[in-house]
Amino acid sequence: MSALEPSDAAGAGTGAGADGRAPGECDLPAGAWWAALAGLPGMGPARLGALWEACAPEEAWRLVAEGGAHRLPTLATLLGKQAESVAAGLARAAAAVDVAERWAAHREAGIEVVVRGDPRMPPRLDDDIDPPFVLFAAGDLTATEGPTIAIVGTRRCSRPGAEIAHEIGRQCARAGGRVVSGLAVGIDAAAHAGALAAGPGAAPPVAVVGSGLDVIYPARSRALWHQVARQGVVLSEYPLGTSPTRWRFPARNRLVAALADVVVVVESARTGGSMYTVDEALERQREVLAVPGSVRSTASAGTNWLLSQGAHPCCSPEDVLMAAHLTATPEEAASVLDPRPPPTGDGRRVLRAIGWDPATLDAVATRTGLGLGAVAVALDRLEADGWIDRADGRIERRARP
Amino acid sequence: MLATVSSATILGVEGRPVTVEVHVTVGLPAFTVVGLPDAACREARDRVRAAIQSSRLEWPNKKVTVNLAPSAERKIGTGLDLAIALAVLAATEQVPHGALAGVGCIGELGLDGSVRPVAGAVSLVDALPDGVAVVPIASARQARLVGRHDVRPVGRLPDLVLALRGEAGWPDPVEPPPPPPAPPPPDLADVRGQPVARQALEIAAAGGHHLLFVGSPGAGKTMLARRLPGLLPPLGREDALTVTRVMSAAGLKVPGDGLVTRPPFRAPHHSSTLVSLVGGGTASLRPGELSLASHGVLFLDEMGEFPPSVLDALRQPLEEGVVRVARARATVTLPAGFLLVAATNPCPCGGATEPGECRCSENARSKYRRRLSGPILDRFDLRVTVHRPDPTALLATTAGEPTEAVAERVARARDLAADRGFEVNAAIPDRRLDAVAPLDGGAARMLEAALRQGRLTARGLARVRRVARTVADLDGADPEAPLGAEPIALAMALRGAIVTGSEAAA
Repeated sequence: MSALEPSDAAGAGTGAGADGRAPGECDLPAGAWWAALAGLPGMGPARLGALWEACAPEEAWRLVAEGGAHRLPTLATLLGKQAESVAAGLARAAAAVDVAERWAAHREAGIEVVVRGDPRMPPRLDDDIDPPFVLFAAGDLTATEGPTIAIVGTRRCSRPGAEIAHEIGRQCARAGGRVVSGLAVGIDAAAHAGALAAGPGAAPPVAVVGSGLDVIYPARSRALWHQVARQGVVLSEYPLGTSPTRWRFPARNRLVAALADVVVVVESARTGGSMYTVDEALERQREVLAVPGSVRSTASAGTNWLLSQGAHPCCSPEDVLMAAHLTATPEEAASVLDPRPPPTGDGRRVLRAIGWDPATLDAVATRTGLGLGAVAVALDRLEADGWIDRADGRIERRARP
Repeated sequence: MLATVSSATILGVEGRPVTVEVHVTVGLPAFTVVGLPDAACREARDRVRAAIQSSRLEWPNKKVTVNLAPSAERKIGTGLDLAIALAVLAATEQVPHGALAGVGCIGELGLDGSVRPVAGAVSLVDALPDGVAVVPIASARQARLVGRHDVRPVGRLPDLVLALRGEAGWPDPVEPPPPPPAPPPPDLADVRGQPVARQALEIAAAGGHHLLFVGSPGAGKTMLARRLPGLLPPLGREDALTVTRVMSAAGLKVPGDGLVTRPPFRAPHHSSTLVSLVGGGTASLRPGELSLASHGVLFLDEMGEFPPSVLDALRQPLEEGVVRVARARATVTLPAGFLLVAATNPCPCGGATEPGECRCSENARSKYRRRLSGPILDRFDLRVTVHRPDPTALLATTAGEPTEAVAERVARARDLAADRGFEVNAAIPDRRLDAVAPLDGGAARMLEAALRQGRLTARGLARVRRVARTVADLDGADPEAPLGAEPIALAMALRGAIVTGSEAAA
């Protein structure tokens, strides 16, 4: 692609506007056209790919804007039976788009736009079996270079699950492994929080999201989102303003799998997004590790099944590091020592009765045989000292303060 | 000729005395009713005329004017029919004037002269001046509850006229048998396991603390809530009369022998309208579910499904114990001092209390949470997560503690609250807490730590102390001794954090 320009030199044009184009449009780089195309409704990687194969960037845009998308045979099959009306719909959507303005918005927001074949495109993605044709990045794209570990799992995780994700994320980042995840709540967020908690000198975090880089979803992840962009990079296949539609998440998961050397599933139900990531990872011959969990926990049904299917068990962060050919950096003494006062008397009995699965107040009272009042006092002490957490009526033991 | 008869009309749950004045004079035959009658009341003209004629009495072919005094107040319903008929008969000297002194009457007339019951008999009779109260047969039992009147049940207008003329004795009709007493509330012995939820019910009953059950479908929230009224002590005479009055004003049948003795249990469906809950739907400003639950239990099943406007409307009654309904023509205050028990799923699919089970979208969950959160959640002293019971507990052959045993403890705890001068512990004002619920050293340290760590808010502190007072009272602790760590810890545990999802992990 001769038209490719470094994004900070958009002024240098691709050629003269000899064929009567609008004056602002004549010097737009390829990224601008692909960014505009990727923002059209229903324009996923497959359809973009068909255009990519057949046309130069500007040509592709003109074809779609004129309602001629169905004339391209490879694209027409992807558009389905009503190719012509879909093409007309795309043209209508394209008519509302000012390519130059879009491009300026991306540049103002400091978003890097790289297209397929650009040397800045992460090699793992460029060589992928299902590559992205345009990639938007907030942060430093070089963050993706190096050993990479994807940590994925359910949004509805248990407290121990989140703790494990946090710990794996932290250890990986300390050992120089880039943590890749999707910035969803639950396991994803815990993994990134762990990677960010690894402190200075740790590997940068990488996130792949399913919406435009200015559409923060879920809103709860806002702080984490910005932190990841500051210390690492947040990637998306979609231009600014794209809302998180359902079909974009599996596509996002494929990029997570493509970027990673090793995929760790911490907690997952039997079906769902994490399992999709696993499928994509296996297709790309990435190693998949799963964290074993209680057979009673729905949140571990998926990981336990993966183990039964031959996934490697991940019983500690070291298992992940080994799979990624990393070596753990020794911890500072302070973080090894548990500062919590050891529980005594009823507290010890109650903590033992809680175990590592989420427990209920009913269950703890029954298991210990203590009165509700005595159990409540012991739980209060344990919670104050950081041994347990209480949420949603569940009591969960904490591995660390 | 002029005649007056005492009667009454109803507004909200209060009876208002009405004097029916009839003036019969020479002129073109006419029959007019003045004094702000509503539609049903104005139709009395036709019923009264037909009833008098069917009773072989004479209808005056003169100008008949009926005034309902005080004229500025709206008169509602059909209860004035009988009084109008008697006043017409007295004005035309078919009934001796003197016979009506000290007689008040309520009742609707049929075209054949029969006397029919009206809603709100207790309040209506209460508004009649002392003396004889003439009432429809079916209302006699309720009329006697007021206890100030010589109640005379009447089935037909001609019988009443004969009695007033002194030509026959007062009719002594056979009163219909009372409706069967309400079935006893379900027993706590049916509940297997669930020690925490049982304890919460006991505390709610003893201290009047509002209670919220959160849990997945099938956890037994509704089953538990239905067992709460059985734990409450029977109503005292005063409260019983209030409850009966409200039921009667709402036009509901009062089971048993006229007086409601068990605390009511009302469970409006979540599709109920605002007006059906708050009251004031009709011209008589009929009491709603909140008032019907007064001195009893209001149970909101699936609280998350109630429209936000309805939940908001609960706030003022919860604070003040009354509902104020204002309409263009009148403002009434209806009783609404109830114990609120609500049940809700943690999220639309109900799975959020177990990790990994929830199938709701992030949006649906936060929308549901928003509806539940806010000021209404703050009103619950007890917020208890109910989990599906342990299978071994379900299959156990030993029954749980029966309602009777628990109710005994509840009654003792309520007596302690009454000794302190409060109806229930939930009503202890903040400024009296230091005197009534002092803390010992351990309890104070525990609360301080919880406040420091943000596990307890200042508002929660007062509520925890009230609940802890009830816990100690139920345990039979020395009522003078300061509260120890156990009741405080239990009160905090039962106030549990609510529907937080897994963001704790984020």
